Amino acid sequence: MSFREKSAWISLLSMSGIYGFYFWSVIHAGPQPGHFRFSGLLATIIALVVLQVVLTVAVAIFKPEEAKAPRDERDKLIELRAMRVAYAGLATSVALACFFGAFDPPIVFNTNALLFILVTAEIMRSACQIIQYRRGA
Amino acid sequence: MGAIRNEIRRLRFEHGEMTQQELADRINLTRQTVNAIEQGKYSPSLEAAFRISAVFGKPLESVFHYSHDE
Repeated sequence: MSFREKSAWISLLSMSGIYGFYFWSVIHAGPQPGHFRFSGLLATIIALVVLQVVLTVAVAIFKPEEAKAPRDERDKLIELRAMRVAYAGLATSVALACFFGAFDPPIVFNTNALLFILVTAEIMRSACQIIQYRRGA
Repeated sequence: MGAIRNEIRRLRFEHGEMTQQELADRINLTRQTVNAIEQGKYSPSLEAAFRISAVFGKPLESVFHYSHDE
């Protein structure tokens, strides 16, 4: 497994786990119109960054020569294809969010819905990269 | 649909049992990409194909073949 594929796995698993916990806690807290908890989101982002940095450094220490190697043409192609899929998902989701936004939902729902869309697009990107690496290209 | 096939695996062994990593280092690709090319899962760019041919000192058509699937 290449360093780039491992990075995609780190991104997929860390985002799924940490944002999964964040959205679970938001849903568990119930609707609180007008009370978007920035501290909760900030803690989530910090936890995600720390976890990704620690895991990436650990992988790089294990195989430093692979970590130092620049992306080659196949890595770039895989990244572009994954980005295209994620963008399509993002664009569709934003269009749906705009439609449902017309029904005047509370701000806390709007903010978390947009965050959910962004996280989902990022997870789709990592998943597409992994699928292509597993297939060969 | 056609498929691009190649003789890289045979040529590596004919050139002192060159490893995939050694070939990858000489053409600035990763070992995983060389492996994907060898297995026919990834078609390299024209530039990469020329670099591979140059390593083995062979013309492009001796390393890569395009076959039409009926």
